[in-house]
Amino acid sequence: MKFALDQYAYLDSPLHRWQQGYKLVGLLSLIFAFAFVQNVWLLPIMIVITGILFTISRIPFSFLIKRLRYPSWFILAVVILLPFVSGTEPIFQLGYFSIKEEGCWQALLISVRFFCILTVSLILFGTAPFLSSIKAMRALGLPRVIVDMTLLSYRYLEELGETLTTMQRAMRLRGFQPHGFSRRNLEVFAQLTGSILIRSYERSLRIYQAMILRGYGSQNNLKKKHSKIKINQRDHKSLLATLITVITGILLISLELILPSF
Amino acid sequence: MHIPDGFLPPHVCLAGYALTGGVTWYSLRQIKHDRYTQANIPKASLLTAAFFVASLIHIPIPPTSVHLILNGLMGAVLGYYAFPAILIGLFFQAVMFQHGGMSTLGVNAIILGAPAIAAYHLFRQREHLSAKRQLLTKVFSFGAGAGALLLSAMMFTLLLVTNISPDMNISVERTAIFVSLGGYAIQAAIEGIFSVMLISFLEQVKPELLKS
Repeated sequence: MKFALDQYAYLDSPLHRWQQGYKLVGLLSLIFAFAFVQNVWLLPIMIVITGILFTISRIPFSFLIKRLRYPSWFILAVVILLPFVSGTEPIFQLGYFSIKEEGCWQALLISVRFFCILTVSLILFGTAPFLSSIKAMRALGLPRVIVDMTLLSYRYLEELGETLTTMQRAMRLRGFQPHGFSRRNLEVFAQLTGSILIRSYERSLRIYQAMILRGYGSQNNLKKKHSKIKINQRDHKSLLATLITVITGILLISLELILPSF
Repeated sequence: MHIPDGFLPPHVCLAGYALTGGVTWYSLRQIKHDRYTQANIPKASLLTAAFFVASLIHIPIPPTSVHLILNGLMGAVLGYYAFPAILIGLFFQAVMFQHGGMSTLGVNAIILGAPAIAAYHLFRQREHLSAKRQLLTKVFSFGAGAGALLLSAMMFTLLLVTNISPDMNISVERTAIFVSLGGYAIQAAIEGIFSVMLISFLEQVKPELLKS
């Protein structure tokens, strides 16, 4: 099981050089501004902003397409259904079914908003190592318990994924056929899940002992940790990029409020 | 059961974040009262990763297959750690698989996390009962697994159907809600039975995992 999250995190582009703490503030503001858009006239602006950011990021287009594959099925279902069930103004009649104008606009609005927000999220977390994102969140005030849990979970996620794959392969080699639904099969899956939980629990005990030996939780270590995590405030280019992005987001929201609703 | 980006109006997304902030603060306060917080963080973290991985297991139900949500089980096993664990799991899913989204992270955390805490309180009731403990553990396991999923499904369906389009006909909305809940009721029954099996397995092999 490969997550490939950091696959393009080490490219060289202005977005990769944008300090992750500032980038989080800037691009999250933009994501919320995109979520605010209800007017279809603002969709081209959203697409242009997303396109510019994606081009600057130098992330390959094939990576974006690969990432869009799974969630797009959900969007496709909505895009197909909404024109039939939403609205009152029919634009095309096909026997009992009619395609409504309002439904078409809603489908367009939802799908563009979805693709733009998803692409910006991908840029936000795909242009920096995942650990930098967590450190940046810590610097922005994320509680220590959540930071520690996130880092530890992330560290063992791939390994536990590999363990699951190995266990499932071993089950198949022993003749388990997971094709039908039966009480026995469900019990086997429950035991498989239970075994994964027990293995991770036993491992966590050993990890905790190792962490204690390395000074985890001691007051000196905590002080050192806190003093290390800071956003570099002298990075003027990052600050400028964040300001531009936040202002763009505010402008988008202002346009949404000013323009007559469509 | 994740609402993707772009589906909900901004006030719902912001309300989701505000509620998630509140519940996270309350959960962290409860965690701080725990005598062994420091020792429990690695346990909760690895179990978070294990639940995340376990939710990728597909249970075949021909002609298709379902993957389990496991939020009720997370509540039963992790207690108040379940809420931050679910928040972290949803964050991973949004970032790694584009499943859910960053703008809807708060809403999704409430949809899956609040029922997990309810499941924890339900499952804890077995500690107060001494007679027929085995049978009651099974009943509470089923209730935690199936109940949490049904609660999540209700919140998910209501939020999605009522917010997706302002022009949707009320009768269509009602039909969509009932059809979705019908499907989720079947999944809840499966998840309830799965929870009973898993809790029985853990009680036999590693009972300390279920101690609060």
